[in-house]
Amino acid sequence: MKKTRKDAIAPIPANGRPSKKKKKNAQIESPSRFYGTPLPGVRPEELSGTLIVIEGTDGSGRSTQISLLTEWLESEGFAVQTMGLRRSYLVGEDIDALLAENAVTRMTLALMYSTDFFDQLERRILPALRSGLIVLADRYIFTLIARAAVRGIARDYLHGIYETALRPDLTFWLNVRPEVAFDREFKKSQTISYWESGRDMSLSNDLFQSFIRYQSMIKREFEYLSKRHGFLELDGEGSVSLVNRELRKRIASHLGIRGTHYQPSHALSQLWR
Amino acid sequence: MATSTPDISIAADPVPAKQTTTKRAYPGALVVVEGIDGSGKSTQLYLLKRWLEIGGYRIHFTEWNSSPLVRSATRRGKQRRLLTPTTFSLLHAADFADRCERQIMPLLHGGYLVLADRYIYTAFARDAARGCSPHWLRNLYGFAPVPDITFYFRAPLDVAVNRIVAGRPKLKYYEAGMDLGISLDRAESFRIFQERILNNYDQMIETDHFVLMDGTVRVNKLQKLMRQIVGEKIALQQFAPKKK
Repeated sequence: MKKTRKDAIAPIPANGRPSKKKKKNAQIESPSRFYGTPLPGVRPEELSGTLIVIEGTDGSGRSTQISLLTEWLESEGFAVQTMGLRRSYLVGEDIDALLAENAVTRMTLALMYSTDFFDQLERRILPALRSGLIVLADRYIFTLIARAAVRGIARDYLHGIYETALRPDLTFWLNVRPEVAFDREFKKSQTISYWESGRDMSLSNDLFQSFIRYQSMIKREFEYLSKRHGFLELDGEGSVSLVNRELRKRIASHLGIRGTHYQPSHALSQLWR
Repeated sequence: MATSTPDISIAADPVPAKQTTTKRAYPGALVVVEGIDGSGKSTQLYLLKRWLEIGGYRIHFTEWNSSPLVRSATRRGKQRRLLTPTTFSLLHAADFADRCERQIMPLLHGGYLVLADRYIYTAFARDAARGCSPHWLRNLYGFAPVPDITFYFRAPLDVAVNRIVAGRPKLKYYEAGMDLGISLDRAESFRIFQERILNNYDQMIETDHFVLMDGTVRVNKLQKLMRQIVGEKIALQQFAPKKK
């Protein structure tokens, strides 16, 4: 039954997507769009969009790149949906409140984040992918796994929770040294936040030391995750334009976009350096 | 869509999943009651609690209802019917984790006898009935300590359902499993949902070492049996009041 359905779907013109991609997608179509058992009620074959994840620690430049990529993709005629941590309707604000209190324990926080993730995945991301959109994710399950893992929650356990998540088409890792991340974050907000410096872990009373040690632990988790999940690692310390060019090159080749020329609009020009 | 994946059983794997918490790495003990709504489990646990309380034992009673932590999210999700099987399950797991990390584990380490009205098996039976993968659920609750005794109160479906329907003017949307789209009639949906849950419980009797209790037996008779079993399986003197 699945087969006939697939056959029937193939000749129908893609909804706003280049026909080239559709063909390619039909060939490689397999249940591997999920890590393990798909979410209840989801048919992988109906997800025609593309999921692109940008990962990296605080201060790695993710948000900047996502703003620029959104503009570039829209100018190329692709509809874009974004997602990020704590943005779900269901529990986004509750997590903010928990973080503000600093009273939450590690397992509870990990599970609240996974609720937040799956609420966005099921209510926003999957519908977008069904409609053929490009989803740009500002962090994904990898940050959630890394943060929980450095707090001593078993990696296998965490991978087990997220095995029903969708496997991204592309996962970029903007890799920066903790020292560079510190400079950027401090410049941005004139201080370093409680959670960014992992102060719940009692690593050091000195904020700088605590930040460096915590971000180094996160970085090591990312190195492991990068191998396990095949991240495309980029040097996040390069200039915004340089990193952006690299991202566009990879994405263009994945989506079948010919030229990668892009000049940010006036509204975004202050990000370009 | 309503049809779940009943080909996989909720019963524990023959090779037990890795337990994040080693069994009895603490001086306390954990006794839990499980069973569908109307099986009589809460009444029996209450009577057990009274018995131990009156005797001056070091006990703590905990039940599975929303803590302030997730109350607002649960209300939001339920009011606007936004919960999917996955987010429903995760939200309850977060709630349980909070209770587990801040109540149950410290009490077990502090040498308390902890009595729990519903435990992880409630989530296994209910969430699997909603269509969550049993394997995924088992992993999700892998951090929970294994109970010393799990009493499973079993009453025939009709008896249990009638007890609930008779005492409640209106069944709630999620409580009745309306999100599964089984039936537009709430009472009918509730019945079918409870039947699935009951079947899931039955599958765990052996693998999870449930102590089967007949929910149709007279209350005081059943309580006598329950107290006897607790006395046999748990070294109660450990929790008894210290003589000065």
